[in-house]
Amino acid sequence: MSDLLEIRNITKSFFGVPAVKDVSLAVSAGQVLGLIGQNGAGKSTLMNLIGGVVLQDSGEMFFKSQPYHPRQPADAYEVGIAFIHQELNLFMNLTIAENIFISNFPRRGFLRTIDRAAIHQRTHDLLQSVGLDLSPEMLVERISPGERQLVEITKALYQDASLIIFDEPTTSLTARETERLFAIIRQLKTGGKSVIYISHILGDVLKLSDSVAIMRDGQLVALDTVNNFDINRMISLMVGRSIEQLYPPRTATPSEKQVLVLKHISSPGVVEDINLTLNEGEVLGIFGLMGSGRTELARMIFGLDPFEGGEILIDGKPMRDPSARTSIRHRMAFVTENRREEGLLMNIDIANNIGLVALPTFARTALNIVDRNSLMEAAREMVKALQLRSGNIEQQSAKSLSGGNQQKVVIAKWLLSEPAIFIMDEPTRGIDVGAKYEIYSLINQISAEGSAILIISSELEELIGICDRILVMSRGEIFGEFTRDQFHDERILRAAFREQELPNTDVHHDAIIQTENT
Amino acid sequence: MSIIDKPANAEVLRVRAKPSAPPRGFSLQRAVRRLIISDYFVLYLTVLFFFVSAIFFPVLRAPVNLANQIQNMWPLLAVAVGETFVLIIGGIDLSVGATMGLTSVVGAMVMATKLDPAFFDKSPMWGILMHPEGGLLGGSDWAVPAAVITMLVIGMSIGFLNGYAITRFNLAPFMVTLVTSTFVSAFALWLTQSRNISGIPDAFVTLGKGDLISIYLGPKLTSDIARRDILPLITYPFIISVGLAGMAQFMLSRTIFGRNMFSIGTNRRTSEISGLPNRRVTLRVYMFSGFCAAVASILYSARLAIGQPSLGGGNLLLDVIGAAVIGGTSLFGGKGSVRGTFFGVAFFVLLLNILNAMRLSPFVIDAVKGLVILTAALLDVTRTRLVNMENRA
Amino acid sequence: MTRQKIGELLLNNSTIVLFIILFIVFGLWSPRFFLPENMVDIVKQAAFTGIVAVGMTFVLLTGGIDLSVGSNMYLSAVVAGLLINSSLQLAILPALLVTLLIGVVIGAFNAFCVVRLHILPFMTTLATLVICRGLGTALTSSQQIDFPESMNTFGQIQLLGIPMPVIVFLIVIAVAYFILVRTPLGRQIYAVGNDREVAKKAGINTGRVLTSVYMMSGFCAALAGFVLVSQLGGRLDHSFAQGNEFDAIAAAVLGGTSLFGGVGNVLGTVIGALLIQMVQTGLSFNLVNLYLQPMVQAAIIFLAIFFDSLRAGNLKRLKRRFIRPLEAGR
Repeated sequence: MSDLLEIRNITKSFFGVPAVKDVSLAVSAGQVLGLIGQNGAGKSTLMNLIGGVVLQDSGEMFFKSQPYHPRQPADAYEVGIAFIHQELNLFMNLTIAENIFISNFPRRGFLRTIDRAAIHQRTHDLLQSVGLDLSPEMLVERISPGERQLVEITKALYQDASLIIFDEPTTSLTARETERLFAIIRQLKTGGKSVIYISHILGDVLKLSDSVAIMRDGQLVALDTVNNFDINRMISLMVGRSIEQLYPPRTATPSEKQVLVLKHISSPGVVEDINLTLNEGEVLGIFGLMGSGRTELARMIFGLDPFEGGEILIDGKPMRDPSARTSIRHRMAFVTENRREEGLLMNIDIANNIGLVALPTFARTALNIVDRNSLMEAAREMVKALQLRSGNIEQQSAKSLSGGNQQKVVIAKWLLSEPAIFIMDEPTRGIDVGAKYEIYSLINQISAEGSAILIISSELEELIGICDRILVMSRGEIFGEFTRDQFHDERILRAAFREQELPNTDVHHDAIIQTENT
Repeated sequence: MSIIDKPANAEVLRVRAKPSAPPRGFSLQRAVRRLIISDYFVLYLTVLFFFVSAIFFPVLRAPVNLANQIQNMWPLLAVAVGETFVLIIGGIDLSVGATMGLTSVVGAMVMATKLDPAFFDKSPMWGILMHPEGGLLGGSDWAVPAAVITMLVIGMSIGFLNGYAITRFNLAPFMVTLVTSTFVSAFALWLTQSRNISGIPDAFVTLGKGDLISIYLGPKLTSDIARRDILPLITYPFIISVGLAGMAQFMLSRTIFGRNMFSIGTNRRTSEISGLPNRRVTLRVYMFSGFCAAVASILYSARLAIGQPSLGGGNLLLDVIGAAVIGGTSLFGGKGSVRGTFFGVAFFVLLLNILNAMRLSPFVIDAVKGLVILTAALLDVTRTRLVNMENRA
Repeated sequence: MTRQKIGELLLNNSTIVLFIILFIVFGLWSPRFFLPENMVDIVKQAAFTGIVAVGMTFVLLTGGIDLSVGSNMYLSAVVAGLLINSSLQLAILPALLVTLLIGVVIGAFNAFCVVRLHILPFMTTLATLVICRGLGTALTSSQQIDFPESMNTFGQIQLLGIPMPVIVFLIVIAVAYFILVRTPLGRQIYAVGNDREVAKKAGINTGRVLTSVYMMSGFCAALAGFVLVSQLGGRLDHSFAQGNEFDAIAAAVLGGTSLFGGVGNVLGTVIGALLIQMVQTGLSFNLVNLYLQPMVQAAIIFLAIFFDSLRAGNLKRLKRRFIRPLEAGR
């Protein structure tokens, strides 16, 4: 079997810093290659090289045995390489059919109008082939995130690509949709198509791939058939060390004092009768699958979304006029799941980002003048305490930091307001293993100082590693509570799936170890 | 401040430059880059522009001309400072011109000393605010202070309405202020039936023309100095406008309110979740913009010694937004400074002066002004790109 | 439940509802308002703003804005007028072609600044607004241009009793509708307005799409300007079509076009233009003080954008992701 895509000794540096160093690999027809690595390991750059987004400094590529020099994304599309990105490239205001044919509408008639009948027929067939029972006329904004992902795949199928590159395709999929995606990938493989599958869900990679490539620091550290890997080996190759140190030991013990109590919180169609207590110094985890209502619940607690029934008590007193400002006045903090759009001021310097929430405490005189010196001092202390790696915090913008350091800025911003209740939604999403460890240590430390922490995550392993107690949410309800001595991943997962038969239990069992997400 | 900034910039550039850039001609490129990125670029440009033009048009250097041109800056500066605030929070205020027209008219109605019935007896205010013997308080000692306060209050009220509609109902600032602009200018025309109101008391006119310190550059020992040889230096408009700008710069750079403005302009959602009073800040910024427009209206009306409903019409909006953008304020929000706007206003006034000195027709001047705005916008695009390149390093 | 549904229905069609209510109010106020001649007159008067607004809709759909249309109408008509009155003595039809060409060139210049120089559409077109008006007044030395009688004749053309401006308006509507709904370019305009980066990645030539919308806007403006001159008895002074850009934007926004791109359609814009004109005609018809008319108009536009924001808020609430079935049970 000849190689479909072959990469030889390819190297790419940005401003003198190598992102991809002398990487050689090949994908043959009908093969699924799993590609894994930490954040910044060079996977994205490698894919950008293949996709023609950036040009290599040295090395060469061959596609179907022909020299392949993509200069722009259209070149990759031309030869038959399709990308399925994590963030979807769909137009919400157009129909499914229009999305698939947008750059290449079939035309008919004297006026060369769009051949609607043809695109609908084709789209209908394509949707059938991925098992989506949707009308081609449906607007994309009206379908679910998982369905959108499948539409994106449909697009690649339509382009009749011979190599399809999936970059974290399952993050927005339900368990069933994930299964469907895997079935499609197997189908593609049987049809002689090649796939590069990039994911942090190592179990999925093991399950799907024929061979696995592992990158670290821009280099290819392993490339072998899948039989030669297990999860532990994959992780140690990715990280360069063993996994014992993924979580810091949990030393602090929570007190009996209840700081946050939720009583019968309900919002029709979103969450139903949520009861919850959070104690001083406790780390409480909420586990749930995508769309279980965990983020929505967190937003309600922090006063960003309305709820219709029930009440929220803080230190035994009911909270009135829920809003972010009220919550902050009650010494709450909220690290949102989306730090770029909701956590940071990307274009503003680090110091001012850190000072954002606690700014009023730095006001002097009746004119509310900012006491710059003490603000800077406080910011610097935070930078030191959180081991935030940055340059000049007065000049460097938040945008220029790595994911882990950005998250530390968000945490620092809230810490400065000395919160008693800290809500964190997916605090380690998109952060590499090393930075994750530091964030876990921080969580430990914050709780040891008496703050209560409510942490939401879709990584069960992480919650088991750092929490005192875990609540499981499913379809907007709390569907199980586990204390530390009851932690058992399979049982928790069972609750998340509402005690239904667990899909691919063997894989999820201890394999949901996401190392990063972007 | 620039002295402190420069070495830091240079340091960044040197580190960044090492790997790939070709060495030849690099230092020049670096110098140009540093210049373009500098906060004072517009000032340098203005000064350079002035000296080059002064060679060809000697009239520019004439002290009389200089003194006049500088006086031209102040009203424009006042209104541009307000607009800068709105742009920083990511909004836009298209109603500043209309606000100036209305405040001018109402102010005159309060303080005019006589009104001609032939002109105004059809005005809805005839017999209420307007009488043959003048405005509401015409002739009274309180007329001028009352008029000034009324003008400021009306300006802030219009700003409040804008801000309220934008924050309470989540309407697009562009549409809201467009509607306000249409409504308010129509209202001003209706009040006066399109007439200018004269009969403005001298005390008010002094606000636009009076000065504290003047200089005389003529030969010594002349017993009678002609009025035109006396050059106004520190005038009331100067004090009012620069005072306003100074206060605004202070608010922007030193207070919590100013910090919040930048935060809200950079990212509204992050700001809201971080507990910033988005609505309150937005509302106050629009009120401040209305206030600034009223101040500009006071200065213009006093200088012209009339209440003019069409004051602030024409291309004023272009001048105002143009000055802010030339000064480095971004239409996307989160970026801008009063200092930059000050330079932008200076640049604009100088440009106008040069074009006048070239004896171009006013219409050609408009066309050239448009081109300059385009160039300024292009410059801003370039500058943003350069800064982004720096940051990526 | 049904009451809520009716409320939603009214809200979703607020501009049409407003249109009908005002139509009835004006009619009751002065029954002559309902006469067919008056109806035709409203459509005829709405045609100029309407044509410009249709062009504006294209630009707004991509998330841009074109403030230069009013000045474009003026400058392109000025050039045509000068050529007609010059020794060349251009006939009406070639003059129309020249006008359109100039309009398109202005649009192309806007597009060049936006696409190639990456200047914001607002700044670009604000500058061209001033430039074009300045050039026009400079060319005419601010004098009025009088077109020959042939222009007047052109303006009086009727087809099956339908006045020329209405015919032109209908053609523009039909062509614009056709482009937006039936051609790849139309769909790509929506795509670019939804997300320019994604559009680029999807292989759409975004530069070409943006260029075409500004050129179309320029074309529509020039066309409207020429037709308007023919209706004004061939007189063209320096305040011609001044501020028209705002009427055009208002018409498009009233018709449901978003200032942020990706949302809107031609028929909505047409209704918006008709609404604006009907209010104006209705007010003059009922002898409302000339000074009060723009105020009433502004108030009605405000009402319309206010309803629009209510609708948007409502839509957002409806689109909220439901995790569980609404009725308790399963």
